[in-house]
Amino acid sequence: MPPAPLPTQLDQLCAQLGTMCDTVSTALRRASVALLENRERLATQVICDYRGVQAMRAEAEELATDALLFHQPVAGDLRAVVSAIRTAGDIERMGGLARHIAKVVVRGRPLPAEVRPDLARMGDVAVDLGRKAAEVVRTRNVLLALELDRDDDDMDELHVRLFEVLMDPGWQHGVPAAVDVTLLGRFYERFADHAVTVAHATVYAVTGREPDTIPI
Amino acid sequence: MRDAYQEQLDELAEGLAGMCEQVAEALQKATRALLEQDLQLAEEVISEDVRIDDVRDAAEARAFALLALQAPVATDLRIVVSAIHGAGDIERMGDLALHVAQAARRRHPNPVLPTEIAPYFAEMGKVGVALARKAADVIRTRDLASAAELESDDDAMDDLHRHMFSVLMGPGWTHGVAPAVDVTLLARFYERYADHAVAVARRIVYVVTGRMPGPLAV
Repeated sequence: MPPAPLPTQLDQLCAQLGTMCDTVSTALRRASVALLENRERLATQVICDYRGVQAMRAEAEELATDALLFHQPVAGDLRAVVSAIRTAGDIERMGGLARHIAKVVVRGRPLPAEVRPDLARMGDVAVDLGRKAAEVVRTRNVLLALELDRDDDDMDELHVRLFEVLMDPGWQHGVPAAVDVTLLGRFYERFADHAVTVAHATVYAVTGREPDTIPI
Repeated sequence: MRDAYQEQLDELAEGLAGMCEQVAEALQKATRALLEQDLQLAEEVISEDVRIDDVRDAAEARAFALLALQAPVATDLRIVVSAIHGAGDIERMGDLALHVAQAARRRHPNPVLPTEIAPYFAEMGKVGVALARKAADVIRTRDLASAAELESDDDAMDDLHRHMFSVLMGPGWTHGVAPAVDVTLLARFYERYADHAVAVARRIVYVVTGRMPGPLAV
């Protein structure tokens, strides 16, 4: 069977990355629900599902390699393929971070009440970023990609606030809970960072420039 | 023509290996800055990180030119794709060394680490630096046995990490929450650094064998 034409392969690649991004966003939502509602079985499922994300990444990379091999793309098409290879790695990592959150749930230490609202909010912002990144990957909408930067600022603010709660002398929950919350905050923040990177890579693939230099 | 092409591939590999050595040095300095509250050394690591980012861009541009001009196939294509991944991993290692240096700077002149925890970090630093150096060797030699060695070295990092956490969570911990938060994040940086070094080695295995080794346990 002859290979599909390059535009078809590129479309497949974008679709694959979009699906992957949605999958890890769903994983993060489920991990967050598991965290806030203390649902260990749900967390275990998130941990198991990570294998699927890894398989999707391998598939994306195979698609990209085929495109390079059969069509030897140049210029914009080459940029799109290379950026897809990188993006697949970022999205896989987002899945890994959702799994890390699920692992904290499985460890079974209760989550202190005063960090719940911030962590819940971080989960919402992160899932939203993941969904937007999926949309950017699918539609290559550069303006939407820039929106992710603002959302990420929200995440950074939440992260700073979480640390204030932790470092407060009134913290009553001891060191183990503080360690958990430190890591959870970091996982959400990294998830958001990777979502932004995915969007940036897409901007680069479309325009050939990193987002900062776009004059809008 | 073919020779110039081979030369370009070699340059690509050499560029990545050099990058590994740079981030090894960065982690070595950052660890010393952390353990000895050496502000100047911390600043050095922080300002040099920009250079590592530049090297990454150069490596990527080289990979790009190879793809566009030479249209490599089979193993050569695997090399170029792996180089793109590798450059990303190694840059991230540089960022993590930077985070360690930033922690040292933020708390200066106070030590970040309680005394009984410092030896763990000295050891994690040693293991991390050795992993990055080995990754450089693996890139140059494509030796599968050394690539496999990185996995067991990474186990040593994981053991240190786990053990340190048991100290942190244990009843003997008297330093309260704030240092525990610092230590938690710092330990994570070292652990991630090691994971990225292993990922680089795994990519080389893929270049040589055409198959990725099993999933990375992170």
